[in-house]
Amino acid sequence: MAVLHFEYKMEIKYEEYAGKCYFTIKCIPKEDARQHLLGLKLSVLPETAYSWGEDSFGNRQVYGCETEPHNQFVFQAAGDVEILQTDYEEEAREETTGIFCVPHGKCVPGPGLSEYYRSQDFSKCKSHYETCMALMHRLHQDFSYVPGATQVGTTADEAWEMGRGVCQDYTHIYITLLRMAGIPARYVCGLIIGEGASHAWAEALCGSHWVAFDPTNDCLVLDHYIKLGHGRDAADCAINRGLMWNGGAQSQTVSVLVEKRE
Amino acid sequence: MEQMDIVKHTDKINELLARYGVKFGIYKNNVFKEQLFPFDSIPRIIGHEEFSYLEKGLKQRVMALNLFLKDIYSKKQIVKDGIVPEDFIFASSGYMAECEGVVPPKDIYSHISGIDLVKGKDDNWYILEDNLRVPSGASYPMIARDLCRRSSPDTFQNYRLEDNRNYASLLRRAMDYVNPGGHTVILTPGRYNAAYFEHSYLAEKTGAHLATGSELMVENDTLYYISSDGTRERVGAVYRRISDEYLDPMNFNPESLIGIPHIYEVFRKGNVALMNAPGNGVADDKGIYYFVPKMIKYYLDEEPILSNAPTYLPFYEEDIQYVLAHFDDLVLKDVAEAGGYGVVFGSSMTKQQKQDFISLLQREPRRFIAQEVIDFQDLDIVDNGEIVPRKADLRAFVVMAEEPLVWKSGLTRFSRNTDSFIVNSSQGGGFKDTWVLYQ
Repeated sequence: MAVLHFEYKMEIKYEEYAGKCYFTIKCIPKEDARQHLLGLKLSVLPETAYSWGEDSFGNRQVYGCETEPHNQFVFQAAGDVEILQTDYEEEAREETTGIFCVPHGKCVPGPGLSEYYRSQDFSKCKSHYETCMALMHRLHQDFSYVPGATQVGTTADEAWEMGRGVCQDYTHIYITLLRMAGIPARYVCGLIIGEGASHAWAEALCGSHWVAFDPTNDCLVLDHYIKLGHGRDAADCAINRGLMWNGGAQSQTVSVLVEKRE
Repeated sequence: MEQMDIVKHTDKINELLARYGVKFGIYKNNVFKEQLFPFDSIPRIIGHEEFSYLEKGLKQRVMALNLFLKDIYSKKQIVKDGIVPEDFIFASSGYMAECEGVVPPKDIYSHISGIDLVKGKDDNWYILEDNLRVPSGASYPMIARDLCRRSSPDTFQNYRLEDNRNYASLLRRAMDYVNPGGHTVILTPGRYNAAYFEHSYLAEKTGAHLATGSELMVENDTLYYISSDGTRERVGAVYRRISDEYLDPMNFNPESLIGIPHIYEVFRKGNVALMNAPGNGVADDKGIYYFVPKMIKYYLDEEPILSNAPTYLPFYEEDIQYVLAHFDDLVLKDVAEAGGYGVVFGSSMTKQQKQDFISLLQREPRRFIAQEVIDFQDLDIVDNGEIVPRKADLRAFVVMAEEPLVWKSGLTRFSRNTDSFIVNSSQGGGFKDTWVLYQ
């Protein structure tokens, strides 16, 4: 399959000098049966010592603390990823998939979403895969892609009530519905060709395979997607988590480039 | 019983306790109020043999709970084998996904366990709940014993009782056992915490540093204590007296100002012991309580020595039928609540309340447990110069080092109202010393 080159850059500018800033960044492509990392370059500005680690979902993370006063923080990662397969059987990290079955965090259904779920007809679906497909098509029709309508903290339920949102909202709603249907489903954060920012999609356990669905684009996830991490909802695999002292107002810009290697 | 000399000194001891700051801080409607924790000087006395029995049962229980926690955050064999339903793990508010695959030093999760028991009128002891997160209360009988000894040395000549002032050395043993290298600190949220007296008292008695989050910092996957002159010293064990969600704003509640950013990563890498380990809430959940006797059989292949109060899980169809049929005889508890909140007696509800509660129960069966009301024994207390009986429980402390160690004492709490079964200190109860006789 494909080899993809990616560049991820996050830049935070502070209005005033920040005294201290803790960061945890999860933008390193996952190494698993789906994809293989061929090379990686990281840089942090101002130059800061950082540690490598892995969270409990197996997502790679880089974390540290900049203690010198600074008014901008830039994190860059670049490398190549070989996509080995699109559906895959993952080496069991979680010994049971129950963790991806229960309502959690931003994926707790309220009355509106529950009503929507009950209005679905799955009688023609003979497998989890077919249910996932049917739900994805329905959701794509019934929800609108409108940037700016929702925020990072918006829950599946709130987004559903508004009827519009972005990839994070599509994915939250989608996995909430899948879990209601008894299908283990997880939130995936990643990068795709042509997006310019990070993207989100879902993985659902169909038989013994995790299959990836992109409800925003109403399609299966193919070899132009790079997976960074997964979790129960967006918060579990948020690319950037930071905590700073002072600094005043801040603005963050993210740029993403993904292209196919010849 | 002939009145002990010690009883004459009750007022003086209470005065001293107040002066030492033995108080309970409570937030009510956003106002911080400190109230005294009234001490009653008639001790609860437990005989040697009876305590040996409790000791065996408590060790067994805490061993099983530790094995359960290790299992839940790794292989989940007990779930796969169908002993505990998956729902009770992943939907529990105490379950923390962040703990998956993280192994605490020496595999110990619950270093300090506070196990609440009552003695029924049938003379049997029943476990009411397990507290495996941040159980507090050991310092109260410690200091009370100390003050009693000073006020009435004679009393202690006449009874052959175990000295309870060794709690600090048990704690120290547990701290040193899991410490991978460095200092030991007691992490307190600060002066306005309900148990601040206890934090400072235990720090003094164990020789650990008492620290707030701002005195600790993480660098290079190592935790440091910054002393007042600015020097940094490595920390290997943290007896943290703040709850999981406030421990690390970079991993848990981002709003926390009392935690230490990235301390959880240090823990993940095995460079610091957190006592108790994060994620323990999944084992002391009131819903999981029902399964503890099954856990003992499952992990230890032993019969449980101590019994639970008879408990029903509305989650199971046959149990909910029983609960509906015997509603007035049962006490219902919300599994997510603690501190004596979320506890209602079927018999005390009005018809309307009962109807509302039952429909709630049917909507959210996982949220509640129902228990037979244990008619527990009264203990004598002195109330306005008069001896009166009051309901009391016992919080026993089990400290885990190379092996579980049961503290030969405990916190006996009593209700100050005649009819109340709720003895929790946050509900205005008082406490007694617990004497364990060595012969």
